[in-house]
Amino acid sequence: MPIRLSPGTSRLLSSRLPFWVTIRLYRRFASTSVNTPEVYDVVCVGGGPAGLSLLSGLKASSVTSSLKVALIEGQDLLKNRLLKDASLESFSNRCSSLTPASVKNLQEIGAWRHVNTARVQPYQEMQVWDGVTDARISFDWGTARSIGPRNPAQPTTIAYMIENVNTTSMLLSRLEELGGVDMMTGTKVSSIELGTDGEKMDLSSWPILTLSNGKTLAARLVVGADGANSPVRTFAGIEARGFDYNRHGVVASLKLDGPGWGGPEHKIAYQRFLPTGPIAMLPLPGNMATLVWSTTPERAAVLKSLSQADFVAMVNAGFRLSTTDLEYLHTLSSAQVDEFAWREKHTPVNEQAIPMRVVDVQAGTVASFPLRMRHANTYTGERVALVGDAAHTIHPLAGQGLNQGQGDAAALVRTISHAVQTGQDIGSTLALESYNSERYAENNAMLGVCDKLHRLYSVESGPIVGLRSLGLRAVDAMGPLKGFFMSRAAGGS
Amino acid sequence: MKPYNPAVAARSVRQCISQTSRRMIQQRNPTIRLAPASSRCFSSTPTTQHNPTTSGGTVDPTEVSHFNALASSWWDPHGPSRLLHLMNPLRHSFIAQCRSSSPSSQKLRCLDVGCGGGIFAESAARLPNTLSVTAVDPTPEVLRIAEGHKRRDPVLMQPGKLTYLNTSIEDLPKPASDTEAYDIVTLFEVLEHVNAPGPFLTHLLPHVKPGGWLILSTIARTWTSWVVTNVVAEDVLGIVPKGTHEWGKYVNEEELRGWFGKQEGWGEVRSLGVVYVPGMGWREVDGGERWGNYFFGVRREV
Repeated sequence: MPIRLSPGTSRLLSSRLPFWVTIRLYRRFASTSVNTPEVYDVVCVGGGPAGLSLLSGLKASSVTSSLKVALIEGQDLLKNRLLKDASLESFSNRCSSLTPASVKNLQEIGAWRHVNTARVQPYQEMQVWDGVTDARISFDWGTARSIGPRNPAQPTTIAYMIENVNTTSMLLSRLEELGGVDMMTGTKVSSIELGTDGEKMDLSSWPILTLSNGKTLAARLVVGADGANSPVRTFAGIEARGFDYNRHGVVASLKLDGPGWGGPEHKIAYQRFLPTGPIAMLPLPGNMATLVWSTTPERAAVLKSLSQADFVAMVNAGFRLSTTDLEYLHTLSSAQVDEFAWREKHTPVNEQAIPMRVVDVQAGTVASFPLRMRHANTYTGERVALVGDAAHTIHPLAGQGLNQGQGDAAALVRTISHAVQTGQDIGSTLALESYNSERYAENNAMLGVCDKLHRLYSVESGPIVGLRSLGLRAVDAMGPLKGFFMSRAAGGS
Repeated sequence: MKPYNPAVAARSVRQCISQTSRRMIQQRNPTIRLAPASSRCFSSTPTTQHNPTTSGGTVDPTEVSHFNALASSWWDPHGPSRLLHLMNPLRHSFIAQCRSSSPSSQKLRCLDVGCGGGIFAESAARLPNTLSVTAVDPTPEVLRIAEGHKRRDPVLMQPGKLTYLNTSIEDLPKPASDTEAYDIVTLFEVLEHVNAPGPFLTHLLPHVKPGGWLILSTIARTWTSWVVTNVVAEDVLGIVPKGTHEWGKYVNEEELRGWFGKQEGWGEVRSLGVVYVPGMGWREVDGGERWGNYFFGVRREV
């Protein structure tokens, strides 16, 4: 049972999410409420990929389609949609790697056919190497042999690079097609409080949401899809533990010299582990690529302040120069172009083993966000369930964040569906138990692995550096073991 | 529906089968008292001529206090009724299995006998193919819990959706016509606490509509069920309140089959064994009806 704050408690939340004002948690004893709340089965707070996927999943299934559901989102989702004829020379800097498992789920709920395919880039190979020792592992289904005969139907795609706005736009299109969701976008939640034990009904266990448009909703189940600082999680009194990595992820949309060494049909993702964090170049359609560079907040600040030419030089240096040279470049406030040109001449590099040279950075796409690891103590409380970043925040090095959210949404749909079929109250802790047990351990394992990888590669010298290189080379040499890792990363089991 | 709780069940039994009629059954079937464990003789002694009182005169005060302690935690998902909560979804899948042989799109009228705090009754009322649920229990305290919990769900408060009646099955008026009878009559975790299952079941039969189903769940009387329910569940694991079960009252599946075989107008029979695996929940087990918890469904011929 969730721990609720004591009556009368008023808590001002951090203003990270601008659409939240305050959360007031108190019981109203008398029937002071002027307007009776409208009763909903599911109220989803937050219209990101996880929340929209949950709602599409519920509406796409005949078992759950008759549930009365509402979406509350502070931003105007319709304004932020991807245009059908958006230029392929320009990409959002917020991209994710969707695993085949996530894509399969999006297909099953009927959303994938609404995707802007031209802007999705599947990739077939991953190159990962150690920035200190150059020990390397490559992932592609050709070298990853499975134990037993190879399945000819085995897909060659490792994952799909996609802009987050493409994901949310396809889900919105699907929801429009399905209908039946009360979309309250551009609407803020002013407060959530427990209902009252009135004359006719006892809503004392029901969250009552008061919205900026004046409406009040009573939720049989309120789903927190409201991000890392989830106000729904706060309402439920669920604690989230974790820490800041003291790292920022610098992102940018880049234009490369060409479509990649494998051509447009065989795209390659690259990740180099530097002592301050990994630098990753992920392929987008054409000559475009997206960057995720995890580094210290200070270096991130400098990178963001550079001229476009210097920024391009730094990214090229990040995949080519030794860590010592790179250290030096990070200390400069400008003129990285010249410094990189000179040092590059003295650094032998196999160009075919690293991403093609960056020639341009799309204006306005260099940005950064703090890296955190955080995990809620539980995903469920009475009439509350958490999905996506509200439940867990992960280091981006394995590109699993968005996929975990999709996995949460699919699992919660299954749980709600089973509860509906067996007449359970979908908001009861008992009905929600299976969602928590299905997702918690799996997400926790993924969080742990990514955290350990980050730590392992933060070490610059000493025996660990030798051992991790040995380990990487050993795994690289063992086809079946590699196949196992790849299928796990692809979201299979 | 009952938790593994002797007080509740014993009470409902006592109020269903009056003192007089029980004496009558004992006289006609002395084996029930002499060797209850080895052979359960089903009596179909008619008790309709007797109108029992539903006053609390036969209730043991210690059992009431035992029950009252349980009642407050009836809906606590981690309380003493947890196993029943976990079993509830299986009841629905068993009913669906039974009904699959003669599918109908008509909305169903259900009667839940011995509804307790309403775990099954509420869930049945929420199903989209349910028209209404009438749930009866002779114990006022349990029904207060049930009524209180019902108020927490607006869907259940729709007029006529879920009606609780504080009555014994004997006092429930018999349907005047077939259309007034129920499509589904359920009796979950009650039979194992009943002294004379035959007369008890006889009271239920008229409430089932022709073509409808009587669905029950109970425990087989075998050495395994003795070990599991009386020793392991109550003493070792402590997941069932102590003193809940009286193994001698358990009813075997083949005894039920035999008894219904002799009733006129009752045909298709289905059963399904289930077992609780700690850490995994309830699981269906082929043949489990011969040695442990099982569901039993019997259809009234059209």
